[in-house]
Amino acid sequence: MAQDRAKNSTSGEKTLVRDISFCGVPENGSNASMVDVKDGKIIRIRPMHYDWKYDPQKDMNPWKFQVRGKTFEPSMKTLIPPYSIAYKKRIYSPARIRYPMMRVDWDPDGERNPQNRGKSKYKRISWDQALDIITSEMNRIKEKYGPTALLYQSDQHGENKVVQACHGAGRKLLRLWGGFTQQNRQPDSWEGWWWGSKHFWGCEPVGQGQQSNLLYDMSKNAELLLFWGCDQETTPWGWQGQLPSRLSYWWTELGIKQIYVCPDLNYAAAVHADRWIPVLPNTDAALYLAITYQWFTDGTYDKEYLDTHAVGVDEYKAYVMGDEDGVPKTPEWAAPITGVPARVIKALAKEWASKRTTVVIGNGGPGIRGPYATEAARLQNICLAMQGLGKPGINQAKMIEWGLFDKPDQYAQPKPLRVPYLRAAYTGGHPDETNHPSFIPKTYVPKAILEGECDWYGCESECADRKDQFVHYKYPAEGCSKIHAVWTDSPSWITCWNSGNDYVRAMQHPDIEFMWCQHPWLENDALLADIILPVNTKLEEDDIAGDIFSGQYNLLFPEHKCVEPLGESYSDYEIVCMLADRLGLLKEYTGGKTIPELIKYGWETSRCSDLISWEELNEKGYYVVPTADGWEEVPAGFYNFYKDPEKYPLTTPTGKLEFLATGLQKHFPKDLERPPVPKWVAKGISHEETIGTERSKKYPLLVCSNHPRWGVHSQHDDITWLREIPTCKIKGPDGYQYHPVWLHPSTAGERGIKDGDVVSIFNERGTVLGAAYITERIMPDVVYMDHGAKWDPIEPGVLDRGGAINTIVPRNTTSKNAVGHAVSGFLVEIEKTDLEAIKRKYPGAFERPFHPCAGPGLEACVMGGE
Amino acid sequence: MGKVMIIDLSICNGCHNCQVACKDEHVANDWSPIAKPQPDTGQFWTKVINLELGTVPKVQVTYHHSICQHCEDAPCLEACPQKAIYRRTDGVVIIDPGRCRGNQLCLEACPYENVIYFNDDLNIAQKCTFCAHLLDQGWSETRCSDACPTGAFTFGDEDDPKIKEKIAVSELLKPELPTRPRVYYLNLPKKWIAGAVYDKEADECTEGATVTATNAATGEKVTTTTDNYGDFWLKNLSDGAYTILIEKPGYLTQKLGPIDATSKDQNLGDIVVWKA
Repeated sequence: MAQDRAKNSTSGEKTLVRDISFCGVPENGSNASMVDVKDGKIIRIRPMHYDWKYDPQKDMNPWKFQVRGKTFEPSMKTLIPPYSIAYKKRIYSPARIRYPMMRVDWDPDGERNPQNRGKSKYKRISWDQALDIITSEMNRIKEKYGPTALLYQSDQHGENKVVQACHGAGRKLLRLWGGFTQQNRQPDSWEGWWWGSKHFWGCEPVGQGQQSNLLYDMSKNAELLLFWGCDQETTPWGWQGQLPSRLSYWWTELGIKQIYVCPDLNYAAAVHADRWIPVLPNTDAALYLAITYQWFTDGTYDKEYLDTHAVGVDEYKAYVMGDEDGVPKTPEWAAPITGVPARVIKALAKEWASKRTTVVIGNGGPGIRGPYATEAARLQNICLAMQGLGKPGINQAKMIEWGLFDKPDQYAQPKPLRVPYLRAAYTGGHPDETNHPSFIPKTYVPKAILEGECDWYGCESECADRKDQFVHYKYPAEGCSKIHAVWTDSPSWITCWNSGNDYVRAMQHPDIEFMWCQHPWLENDALLADIILPVNTKLEEDDIAGDIFSGQYNLLFPEHKCVEPLGESYSDYEIVCMLADRLGLLKEYTGGKTIPELIKYGWETSRCSDLISWEELNEKGYYVVPTADGWEEVPAGFYNFYKDPEKYPLTTPTGKLEFLATGLQKHFPKDLERPPVPKWVAKGISHEETIGTERSKKYPLLVCSNHPRWGVHSQHDDITWLREIPTCKIKGPDGYQYHPVWLHPSTAGERGIKDGDVVSIFNERGTVLGAAYITERIMPDVVYMDHGAKWDPIEPGVLDRGGAINTIVPRNTTSKNAVGHAVSGFLVEIEKTDLEAIKRKYPGAFERPFHPCAGPGLEACVMGGE
Repeated sequence: MGKVMIIDLSICNGCHNCQVACKDEHVANDWSPIAKPQPDTGQFWTKVINLELGTVPKVQVTYHHSICQHCEDAPCLEACPQKAIYRRTDGVVIIDPGRCRGNQLCLEACPYENVIYFNDDLNIAQKCTFCAHLLDQGWSETRCSDACPTGAFTFGDEDDPKIKEKIAVSELLKPELPTRPRVYYLNLPKKWIAGAVYDKEADECTEGATVTATNAATGEKVTTTTDNYGDFWLKNLSDGAYTILIEKPGYLTQKLGPIDATSKDQNLGDIVVWKA
């Protein structure tokens, strides 16, 4: 095969190695792909073959797992997902922005019509006009309100780029310019672990369990894998590819039992599950409580381990057994809450206690991104602790982001000799950056703008330490301005964060005098901007990349442009350079380095420059980092802590596993929504989103919402080759491709809904249209709709045709003192849509043209079409 | 040295890489004389079919695959009056886009589903070519097999010993046909009957009960034992109606059926057993 790849010539095609992944942070490159180009055209995109230019045995120090009489080896090619293969469709999408545009009814010298954001059309303007308006508005706002009146979002869901970074390339410029208000992303995929588990086991800064060498440990030692709200056939694709899939098949071959606990038969459960235990969304906390009740009752837990490794067990036990509140948390108590029969809870508790069990998570999946997610997180951790967390085969393993934030303890796969490091050459904003005093947690942006002031605890950055969760902050910060302008890049707010409809209303608020956006596609929040700047996709740019997360081999490679930039588009970095130039800050901004120099600087600072020369790197096109010798010896997960908790304490205040979180007890002793001892919280001052509450009489169905299967967050929703897959889109009678919403036949039958019907999913926060996908893959009384569908407002802030379910998720955060978002496990009702009636009410929206196979494009929003 | 494809449904995760890679190769790329461009949507020279089996909570998904079988005795080839369809020395069956006149007789002649498509714009019939244009450049894989992350697609030479080994245990999609296809399948879906047995009085899952399914027509018996959740899955059943016997010492024997597993897999749901 290596021979074949190297030929690559009779056709006249040239092969370029590119990172086609979608996490948007420099450490997180992955999905290395081979792009064959000819005559300025992309012919094909395919998996990258490690052995193209290298001899595996000689150059790569291949790793393998040899356990239980069987062998697992990494694939000799990268295991990229379908949207990497299909990426040329994204480049030539009908929604590609090819030149600067301005909202037709926004006039910086007259009426600004903020209320029309999301409704108005756009007209083409020149780059000079666009840059003039932006810089003059920046200066005007700075003069009138001070620089903190500018909110820079800079942290959303875009392509992976390094030198041409698509998020936050403007942060450095704004610091030079005098300051700004930073939107701080919170850990949007692992909320419960971050806001909850850190108070149980520390594990800074991520909050999930220690991951080192766990793939090997699970293969060798685990007898039972509990995939809890984990879909490794969906969530990891855009970050790292499909090694988790191969491993899951192998674990089955090894005879390791796989149980999936989730409301939906997710894509992993559909092909790997030995048993599916359907649980009502966001009720996992009650299930864990009942399991520990059973263990306390039967004595089937590791009491000696808890004596030496944990604190607060008695307080926890008092709550579980009902000594505290008179309610024993029995399986019979949990059954109606969770929808899991008591006998199944008992059987699960018994099996878990009798087998070396690893709980497997996919970051959060839907299970950890709901109201009060801190409680389910800590209660799961407690279950692991009661069975001896850190013993071989007993850990919390994640199926995604192996190596997150460049942290060795996040490395679940065999350790490479070096981890390529591209942070020094990265021009964008990083999640670990703070911007004191003026910042707003992303979840609070609508509240800040709509209410004019707000306060909260924590979130000074996505990588902040547990103790930051006790620090009180407010908006506007002392001496700082309210927000009057918004700059966004690669935006995805509406379709990915909390209560997207509130965000729309916030952007329509009269306080927001100016909003500009830079993005390759006219989609989602870009539809709210007053000025839109066209950005390249990554295949139109030179850059440097690493493939870090694949779990197979680490790679470093310079990236060469595959095609010329479309229209008048530039990279985000180039655009910021243009702005810097107009503001007289270009030299300070670039530090005097050109883009080719930055790319080479990336190699110099990559930790690999002593392993491969710049010349050889360019000649071969990529470098495979060999596996480190002795990777097998790296202690797995919490093993060191298990062996010697005194020598290897946790970062909790006591150094132990805190069944009673001493930090929370000190700072928030009376918090009923995240109490010191974790609890089942059916409702509270922040949320009323469970069945049995008053609200559930009106909105009786629970929504389960995971990351999408056929895209990464807001990305890829316009790829025609994916949209024709039935679980991606469903064509309605009007020819529009609606986003599927999964309904159990019983749920659909009770409402007279038939397969393929256009339906309205609604609550008091708004309505989203979708198409009914009637299936046994979802339990009764639950609907599944993944996030990321492209927002296509019929009435902005009220009614969406595209299926952006996040427009109607809770506006409140995880809980009162935890400002995570809560985007799964919330109440709605659903009904068959009277399309004709809606069309009569909103004729304009339904007259907007759309591409029959790619969805809404530029022509819907541009004056005169295009 | 004939080319063959072996598709193992038991390790297909449904990622659709095969279907998408095929489009990446053939949409907007002209590989004449092997193939003209495929339309952007609606046609699938290799197609993934999503089969959802069972009912909550006994549900599984199998991803089936349709692709040209590249038959040794290809009905399409015989059916074409233009003689536009030919077989290469490596066994690959090609519809010559230059000779095809669009009479569509091959579509009718093909006994397999989702194989030959008609391109209205070009007025030609089109289908999988095993990426013959790439094989001719020295590739040893098709786009679909190269893109497959799990090894569900194996492409190679029929004389290769490793391939022979796989062929020996594989099945044909329609074994009753005399077409002699070059596509083989592993683990084609077989019907199952499942359920969960529990003791209602004790509210406990009943472990260790013997469950026997008897085919009403043939008398063929399949037996399994319930696990710690009281679950049983009687797998690899031939089509037919079955009676189910659930037995456990100390309990009354339960008899169910006949259950028809001809058209679909059956989840019998929660089944109560009573102490004797």
